[in-house]
Amino acid sequence: MPRLPALLALLALSACSGDDAAPSDKAGANTSEDGFPRDTLVIAEGSDANVMISAVSQSVTDSAIIENLYYPLADYEFDCGIKYKPAMAKSWEWNDDGTILRMTLRDDIKWADGKPVTAADLAFTMDLVEDPQVASPRTPYIEYLLEGKRPVVIDDTHIEWHFTHAYDRVTQLAHVSAVKPSPKHILEGEDRGSLRGNSFNTQPVVNGRWKIGAWDRGERIVLEPNEAWSGSAEESPKLKRVIFRVLPEYATRLVELETGGIDLMQAIQIPDADKLRTTHPEIKLVRRGWRAMDYIGWNSIDPEDYKKKLDAAGGESRKVDLKTVKPHPLFGDKAVRKALASAVDADKIIDDLLKSEVTGETYGRRSTGTITPELCDVHDESIVPISFDVPKAKAELAKIGWTDSNGDGVLDKGGVDFRFTLQTNTENPRRNKAAVIVQAQLKEVGITVDIERVEFNKFVEKHRRKDFDATLGGWSAGLFVDPSVIWHSGPEYEFNFVSYDNARADELMQQGLREPDPEKSKVIWQELQQVIYEDQPYLFLYWMDEIVGVHERFEDTTVNVQSPYYDLHEWWVPADKVKYKR
Amino acid sequence: MIQYIARKLFLTIPLLWGVITLIFLLLQAAPGEPSDRFITPETPPEVAEQIKAKWGLDDPVHVQYGRMLGNLMTGEFGYSIMQERPVFDIVGEALPNTLILSALTLVIIYMVGVFLGTIQAVRQYSLFDNAASVISLFFYSMPSFWLALMLMLVFALQLDLLPAAGMVDAVEHDFMTVPEKLVDRLQHLILPGVALGVASAAGTARYMRSSMLEVIRQDYVRTARAKGLSERKVVFKHALRNALLPIVTLLGLSLPFLFSGSVLIEIIFAWPGMGRVIVGAIFAQDTPLIIACFFVFTMVVVLGNLVADLLYSLVDPRIRLS
Repeated sequence: MPRLPALLALLALSACSGDDAAPSDKAGANTSEDGFPRDTLVIAEGSDANVMISAVSQSVTDSAIIENLYYPLADYEFDCGIKYKPAMAKSWEWNDDGTILRMTLRDDIKWADGKPVTAADLAFTMDLVEDPQVASPRTPYIEYLLEGKRPVVIDDTHIEWHFTHAYDRVTQLAHVSAVKPSPKHILEGEDRGSLRGNSFNTQPVVNGRWKIGAWDRGERIVLEPNEAWSGSAEESPKLKRVIFRVLPEYATRLVELETGGIDLMQAIQIPDADKLRTTHPEIKLVRRGWRAMDYIGWNSIDPEDYKKKLDAAGGESRKVDLKTVKPHPLFGDKAVRKALASAVDADKIIDDLLKSEVTGETYGRRSTGTITPELCDVHDESIVPISFDVPKAKAELAKIGWTDSNGDGVLDKGGVDFRFTLQTNTENPRRNKAAVIVQAQLKEVGITVDIERVEFNKFVEKHRRKDFDATLGGWSAGLFVDPSVIWHSGPEYEFNFVSYDNARADELMQQGLREPDPEKSKVIWQELQQVIYEDQPYLFLYWMDEIVGVHERFEDTTVNVQSPYYDLHEWWVPADKVKYKR
Repeated sequence: MIQYIARKLFLTIPLLWGVITLIFLLLQAAPGEPSDRFITPETPPEVAEQIKAKWGLDDPVHVQYGRMLGNLMTGEFGYSIMQERPVFDIVGEALPNTLILSALTLVIIYMVGVFLGTIQAVRQYSLFDNAASVISLFFYSMPSFWLALMLMLVFALQLDLLPAAGMVDAVEHDFMTVPEKLVDRLQHLILPGVALGVASAAGTARYMRSSMLEVIRQDYVRTARAKGLSERKVVFKHALRNALLPIVTLLGLSLPFLFSGSVLIEIIFAWPGMGRVIVGAIFAQDTPLIIACFFVFTMVVVLGNLVADLLYSLVDPRIRLS
């Protein structure tokens, strides 16, 4: 029951509206007699936003704000996976083979300057994404659409998307609706090469429920209800303002949350949450769901041999045929990787690092792959994690020749000790602690681990150059299933750092990515998860939950795996609890 | 005098060149590239190439270096890779905030430091002197980030006297009257100002104390006392001016210190100044922005020294700049 925690959290949130002022307020939402909009929500972010044009947005803060400014083609909610519902596109249908998606658009949505939003704006937006000059990070989406038909504009309210092939329909919808629309009539003549610096970003012409009221760089961004919003009144914001404050330091955010300077803080650490529970009952602590995982990646190829071949190829990684590189002396062998999985007690790590000492709640769970348990339609619950068993690990290693022949407490084979370097990044205290625990646990089996802590940029570079034995890293959960970026053996998959190579897995990924029927793709993805887990290219450690603190005066708050503050226009405050009167 | 200033400023050119070259080389040696932040697992390599080409990152190092120097010589700082806005705008937004903070801190440093040091010297070996010495050493040796967090915990969280972070009240400031706004700003300045200045104030007090001790033993001070002047007049009118001489040189040195100290303080107190900009730029490996920040820092150091030289000649008539 992987979605239970998130669901419980949501239930806990919506169950809190036991205020007598609440029901009548809610019923009359958006009529000024009820006083909507009122009060201000203050959200802490670690960094400032940069741009307000979806095609060039890069950071999490950018997306969080853009989400509220522009009315998307399709809205979504999260229930075991992303589920789309009509928004700008009021209806859609596919042709029989699933390669053409036809949409009918609403004709009543307007830009803040009064011009209607039409299919031409959507085509213009996709043109921005496609234009190499713009260098949009969303270019990959375009590659799924037939050239010249990205999209086909039938008329102002009808549009067609022609895909190169049929695949998962939710992902198809994501590929066409993830980029939020930009106004063609305003941005058309602007220089495509410098859109990130365009003054439109500071005063964007929006078509969504919110607009930018003020943006003090490095300090705050103020969202106010867009008075030109042409959608229904029920969908209008019920808060007067939402202020994003830029607070780079965790400790500062925590003090601000405690002193009431902010109303919402993400990623609260477990000991701090325990403290808040008793000292600040007015702050609701909500779980976001399994959003990120840590793992130990075993390099399957010999880093030194790879370096030689890479140098010979003039530093171009794509020209190196990984099949010709020698396997890693230790981790090239699947038997070693499997033995290591029984030598490490991941449950103990979870208990030590991800458990509340006060409530006993656990914010971690064993991981068996890179597909988050939140995607409960495809996540394979049937995989039983390899259990911690030192004698078994020793026996398995002995079977392939690793024994302590000289009695020094360290396993050896052919005169060489079982010793390797485990790298992790300096900035992450959790990973540093996990590395030390793993080091101690492997010592019990007779394996010497040297821990190397490197600065993040260096860490990334060492991954890219495959310059490591073992790496303690992490992935955040993708909410669409595409395991190929991490596991495909093709030369273009640069994020397959450990050089995982399994023909069956490649085949399954290719099939799964071209399977429109969710029932069939589920079978494929589950087999893939089993194949990968069987190979143990990573020692999968744990998924982590994130704690979000929200002031209790807010009602209908949605905090979920896709966003710590979802559907802000639905958040509201009962009249008697309003904090900021002006 | 003007000739002196002109010569000093002229000498900053090779200094700037050295600093910028060093920074450029360090950035080249650092792992990763500015374009890395645009690349996610899904980014197609063509897009990565386009981005590199756009910023000239695919050129050989010496070409990039030459282009950068050429641009700087024509006053062209270029565009931030991270924000794609003119570097000039970004620095222009942040620099005043840092200057406000530094200016206030300087006032704290000199008022507290000079006053405390003087009293300590006049009452040498008294209980006050000893206590003040211990306290100054305590603050002098305390890391500023730790002090900043402690100040925040005590004055914002426990006592609820002052705002924890930011330049103004993020919610209410918009609706305040002008005097209220002024008070709001000052309140937000106190904690970062104290955190940034207290160590320097303690240091200044030490210097002031020893300088004053030296001066009050001079013959002319004895003469002043013998004339029957009040002790207050002797100390503050006759001794202080001479004792201040070495302190004035400290001013030039404290400006760069304040700027570098502001990096940590600005992050902790969410102060949108140069320190924040430079840290963000370094993490993003935003070369043009980093170069511009160091340009500004270098200029501040140079100007700080120049101001110290000029002040020195002002307070000490024996010194003539030539």
